[in-house]
Amino acid sequence: MNKMRVLDVGLVSPLRSQAIYHGVAYAMTPETPDTIILVGPTDPYVCIGYHQELEKEVDMDYCRAQNLPVYRREVGGGAVYLDRGQVFTQWIFQRDRLPATLEKRFALYIQPLVETYRSLGIDATLRPINDVHVRGKKIGGTGAAQIGDADVVVGSLMFDFNFELMAQVLKVPSEKMRDKIYQSLQEYMTTMTRELGETPDYDRVKRIYLDHCAQALGAELELAEPTPQELAVTAEVEERLGSDEWLHQKGGLRQSDAVKIHADVYLGEGVHKAPGGLIRATARVREDRIDDLTLSGDFTMIPAFAVGALEQALRGVKLEEEAIAPKVAEFYRALSVQSPGVAVEDWVSAVMGVEGQM
Amino acid sequence: MAVLNNCNIPEDLLYWVREHVWVRPEEDGTITIGMTDAAQHLAGIVVNANPKKVGRKVKKGRSAGTVESGKWVGPIKAPVNGLVVAANEALKSDPTLLNRDPYGEGWFVRIQPDDWETEGADLVTGEQAMADYQAFLDEKGINCA
Repeated sequence: MNKMRVLDVGLVSPLRSQAIYHGVAYAMTPETPDTIILVGPTDPYVCIGYHQELEKEVDMDYCRAQNLPVYRREVGGGAVYLDRGQVFTQWIFQRDRLPATLEKRFALYIQPLVETYRSLGIDATLRPINDVHVRGKKIGGTGAAQIGDADVVVGSLMFDFNFELMAQVLKVPSEKMRDKIYQSLQEYMTTMTRELGETPDYDRVKRIYLDHCAQALGAELELAEPTPQELAVTAEVEERLGSDEWLHQKGGLRQSDAVKIHADVYLGEGVHKAPGGLIRATARVREDRIDDLTLSGDFTMIPAFAVGALEQALRGVKLEEEAIAPKVAEFYRALSVQSPGVAVEDWVSAVMGVEGQM
Repeated sequence: MAVLNNCNIPEDLLYWVREHVWVRPEEDGTITIGMTDAAQHLAGIVVNANPKKVGRKVKKGRSAGTVESGKWVGPIKAPVNGLVVAANEALKSDPTLLNRDPYGEGWFVRIQPDDWETEGADLVTGEQAMADYQAFLDEKGINCA
């Protein structure tokens, strides 16, 4: 039977919890067995995606004030707050050992995660391409990369997650937006602790996970220690990942100004200057429809409570001009509302500004 | 242009099949490299491309720059030792050129090879390349449809 190696590294420094899989990948030789690393950080930190621009994504003043270190990984995706509530499950495989297509590669990687959750009584499923969902809520994300000569897939066993700090560490255009992120994380993310009402035993869950890995991969798993060479390369990687030059390197394109909560849910903010004042539309969009909307700014609407009614009227409406404009017009017809200097098209522009971010 | 498993693979280029890298020798002795149609198909829509800067050395089998799609990050590997003499700046503002025109406007970097005579001989072209690439795509179950 195919033999694979497990490195159950336990709790290590935040930097090492990222550096270890890079180190094992860069140290890989044709003789290195395919490897699964289980690791967690002793302390919280923030981790950003390979091509993200630090200052645009992360509230560095907050992180400095909280002594939260920030590291850039060589895997894509977005900024994330991490702590002991997650056990990272890192696969470092010989090239060409995993399926060539990402759909199949993620499906294989996610299978033991899903089965582990199901073994615990949590109704988890693969949400293609690379999310794990529990009844529409995300329970951890995953990412793939080629690092050196290795194919790498990373993700986590989500024991617990600090929704509040996740919302705090992100750089956002307004505090309103931050509140919405927090609220949306609460609504659209979940953890083992939430699903079970208590945190399951880490060692037990890790054992279940490794059993499911062995089955999914058709392999015999052997516990081992990183080799001296792997530790030496990991130390080199730590020096680089910890350097200011690496952390502050210019990112590529910012992919979008919207904040992705999970595969179907995004948050965005549109701002429009109407003759009667500034309108800020903070919206959550779920499967292309407005799921939640807050309208704020220095416009005047009489009666004031009508703003809430307009927010309500636009819920569930498709995020497109042709759908929003008639709804706003209907709102003005149905209610006796005055908004000097703010007309139907101004609300439409503000809300459609959200679409421009996605 | 040959079409193998629905992937466009031009016969007149040179290939490092396993790494999905194409190579075009230029008249001035430099080589242009990029990712093949099969590679861009596997990666998906590219959201960031970061070719190494002009003047940087590259090593055979090591990164000549990185590419990020929505779900994956990886290097485009240099097929030879050498020096980067040009990087495709257009990719910074429109990385999807790698998807839309992988052999044209989506080129990645131009390299001045240290020893093209020796290292270029490891690459395949023409009928041999088509046969090798076909076998590789079949082995991995890759189809660009």
